Amino acid sequence: MANAHASPVLKHHFEDLGQQHACERLGMWMFLATEILFFGGLFAAYTIYRMLYPHEFEIASSFMNRQIATVNTVFLITSSLTMTLAIRCAKLGDRAGLIRNLILTVALGTAFMVMKGFEYAHEFHENLAPGKMFRTEYEKATKAVAGLAPAAADEYFKADAAKPEHERAHAHWAAELALKNKASADEVVDSGKVQMFLCFYFVMTGIHGIHIVVGLGLILWLVYEAATGGIPPENYSTVEVVSLYWHLVDAIWLFLMPLLYLAGAGMHH
Amino acid sequence: MSIAVPTGGAVAAPPPPEPEPLAANYLNNGYSIWSWLFTVDHKRIGILYLVSISVFFALGGLFAALVRTNLLSPTGAILSEDAYNRAFTAHGVLMLFFFLIPAVPGVFGNFFIPMMIGAKDLAFPKLNLASWYVFMIGGACAGWAVLVGGIDTGWTLYPPYSSRASQAAVVPGVLGAFISGFSSIMTGLNIMVTIHKMRAPGMTWGRLPLFAWALYATSLIQLLATPVVAITLVLLMAERMMGIGIFDPSIGGDPVLFQHLFWFYSHPAVYIMILPGMGVVSEILTCFSRKNIFGYTAVAWSSAGIAVVGFLLWAHHMFVAGISFYAAMLFSLLSMLVAVPSAIKMFNWTATLYRGSITFHAPMLLSIGFLVLFTIGGLTGLFLATLGTDIHLHDTYFVVAHFHFVMVGGMVLAYMAAVHFWWPKMTGRMYSDFWSRLASVVIIIGFFFTFIPQFVAGYYGMPRRYPNYPAELQWLNVMSTAGSSVLGLGYLMPAIYLPLSFFTGRRAPANPWSATGLEWQTPSPPHVFNFETTPVVVCGPYEYSLGVDQQGRTLPPPPNETNAEPDAQKEAHGG
Amino acid sequence: MSDPHNTTPTADDPHGMRKDLDSTGLLLVVFVAVLGLALANVGISMKMGPTKYTLVVQLAIASVQAGLVAYYFMHLRHGDKVVILTALSSLFWMAILFVLFLADYMTRFWVVG
Repeated sequence: MANAHASPVLKHHFEDLGQQHACERLGMWMFLATEILFFGGLFAAYTIYRMLYPHEFEIASSFMNRQIATVNTVFLITSSLTMTLAIRCAKLGDRAGLIRNLILTVALGTAFMVMKGFEYAHEFHENLAPGKMFRTEYEKATKAVAGLAPAAADEYFKADAAKPEHERAHAHWAAELALKNKASADEVVDSGKVQMFLCFYFVMTGIHGIHIVVGLGLILWLVYEAATGGIPPENYSTVEVVSLYWHLVDAIWLFLMPLLYLAGAGMHH
Repeated sequence: MSIAVPTGGAVAAPPPPEPEPLAANYLNNGYSIWSWLFTVDHKRIGILYLVSISVFFALGGLFAALVRTNLLSPTGAILSEDAYNRAFTAHGVLMLFFFLIPAVPGVFGNFFIPMMIGAKDLAFPKLNLASWYVFMIGGACAGWAVLVGGIDTGWTLYPPYSSRASQAAVVPGVLGAFISGFSSIMTGLNIMVTIHKMRAPGMTWGRLPLFAWALYATSLIQLLATPVVAITLVLLMAERMMGIGIFDPSIGGDPVLFQHLFWFYSHPAVYIMILPGMGVVSEILTCFSRKNIFGYTAVAWSSAGIAVVGFLLWAHHMFVAGISFYAAMLFSLLSMLVAVPSAIKMFNWTATLYRGSITFHAPMLLSIGFLVLFTIGGLTGLFLATLGTDIHLHDTYFVVAHFHFVMVGGMVLAYMAAVHFWWPKMTGRMYSDFWSRLASVVIIIGFFFTFIPQFVAGYYGMPRRYPNYPAELQWLNVMSTAGSSVLGLGYLMPAIYLPLSFFTGRRAPANPWSATGLEWQTPSPPHVFNFETTPVVVCGPYEYSLGVDQQGRTLPPPPNETNAEPDAQKEAHGG
Repeated sequence: MSDPHNTTPTADDPHGMRKDLDSTGLLLVVFVAVLGLALANVGISMKMGPTKYTLVVQLAIASVQAGLVAYYFMHLRHGDKVVILTALSSLFWMAILFVLFLADYMTRFWVVG
């Protein structure tokens, strides 16, 4: 370690840079283990409910926006690439390349969140949200169409002086459910369990989104550090540590996406 | 157990000269409040933890006093039924999340792990400081919850009561526990990376003090279990605040799922609480019986065993909750399994004592108390692990007595033992030998009278968490409350003589107990960077029979049984 | 203990940081593979529809993707043993969570005796 002790990067309590990098890497991996267990609890809960209510989960999933999810997946995977390239640039001392790759990662992550924002907005508009919003209106709609034809449902809601912003949702749900009940008369779709899927959808994507935002913050901090000369080659491990976090968030999405968006893929509705 | 030093024959090498008391040590390296609040020195952070958890212990004890006083009368002596719910919940939350879990890792893990392995600090000093701040923020949230009236759900927070019906300040309390969990994760992460990567030359895994093994196992659990309760508490808060009903039966949710997720952490959490205590006991028993630990490998690996097997047992808290009968049988069987590594430790400790040269200083008295009380607590756990008997004993005072035996008779005693063992090193002062021994005895006696009656009461069916009970069980409750007063007195005594040692205690030598660990090779209190030069380890951690410390140097004379200062140490101090 | 990999300083690389440099080509290949698998996942799911095996296929594909990301992007390829142990342990503990949870839920409705 020729200049190890002379490096300003070396912290006082470490013997040499190798020990420091090894500790930083191991520390981040241990933190990632906690994140895996954190999401693991969520995934386990989801697995149980999906095992108990497979049909409702598939139907509910079929209402999710698969196109946005696919585009978002492409964004995240690409951002993983740019993040790994950033480490490479840091090791080579290529400051311009490092900053370029970091900014690209931030751009892709931001694009992910923007698409997610559109997605959520659409879903709230459609009353596809858990809690009070979903429950009262959806239950009204389902009660109305149970055993009735869509025309009768329309009449029901016209008669009920419903608030204007919910009319569209009523019609939407009434039509969908009536179609399903016609398609498979012995299959009853329990509205509550559809709502349960939506609970998971928002909690899982919401928490994942929070992790993305935190990651973006960390990467922006890296941009600042790089721009002010704080990431010489011997400090590449700072970039690596953030990239490990970013890759985990990407990997979690790779599991989240099929579970939430592809459960009902190929269903006809 | 490899030794690279020639054993002393008839003429052993003299002990190295007593290190000069340092003009500049970690305590006087800056006196301002900022030098403490912005420190990254692991020793100062340990002291910060010591002060804050002592406050939480006192608060939790206050609520315990309220509970026990209320139980003097079969119809509730001083509290309304709602207030009683809030009292026992506050006692549980404060004692578990804010005392038992952070105590030994936060105070002694932070202070001594780097010193024991010959490092200058933990791997991530700033993360260490952050962990204390996060702990305090969590404590503030929980404290806020207590101030606005407390929670009435029990520390176990089961929905649907906690998510829907309870009118109490559930969210601040849950938030406090959630935030403190991050502190736990940070501490565990720090300790694990440090032990992996920062051991001094010669400090192999097989030469690590058992305290380090125990803290490593504890940190493993902290790292892997805490995130699961974190997500559980998030889901609980989401259900309460936003109606996202993951545990709501009306949309197909299952409240028992909460229990599964909650106990997946909370059962391993009890091993987070006890394992550090077991590590402390290994250090103390060897030192005060002047003997090597019997079966180092077994004790070391049993810590890891408890940590791993402890993850497989959680549903024994849910035998009557409505889980599958087959799953209940499985968990019952697995719960029996964890008794094995704990028993291995007990046997090895007992064998360590056998034919040792035992002195009964306060750390030793408390450790022997631990052996007895933890054994009783552990054995009664088997009654609860057995499916059939648990049906009758679940949610009775038998359970309460069981866990207080292991947590108070076990862990709190071990914590007190650790305080008494390492106090001279941390503060550079010796406390009163007479008062500390007396306090240890008072604590053990008070403990017996507090909790033995509770086994009987539980056997007779007295339910837990009820503010009232059948009148024929009153004598048991009165005895228990009387015992708790004695126990409280026992805890009060160190709260007096320990701070008093700063004023009237004699200055501590570097190694007052003549212990072998690396932490005792430094002056008391230690230098800011722990060691003048990096120590080189040549042998295992408990070579008392050979009379050498881990660097192969001869130990000073062991502490004698009386209160007198040993002659050699007197000379070193100039008489 | 020093990290065994960063030990060969050279003139223009005084701290030996370039020893385990990724090649851009390799990274691009992995990227294309992960991306391709993602698109395949969507396509196969739509083709299969919600059958008994769709979930298994989806999770298998996702696992391969995650494995590639972990091995190449997260440098498990030249990670030291403790790092690999950490990664595998987290999966093992998640497995404990899943298996024992399902042990309850899958047997809850079995009739006793």
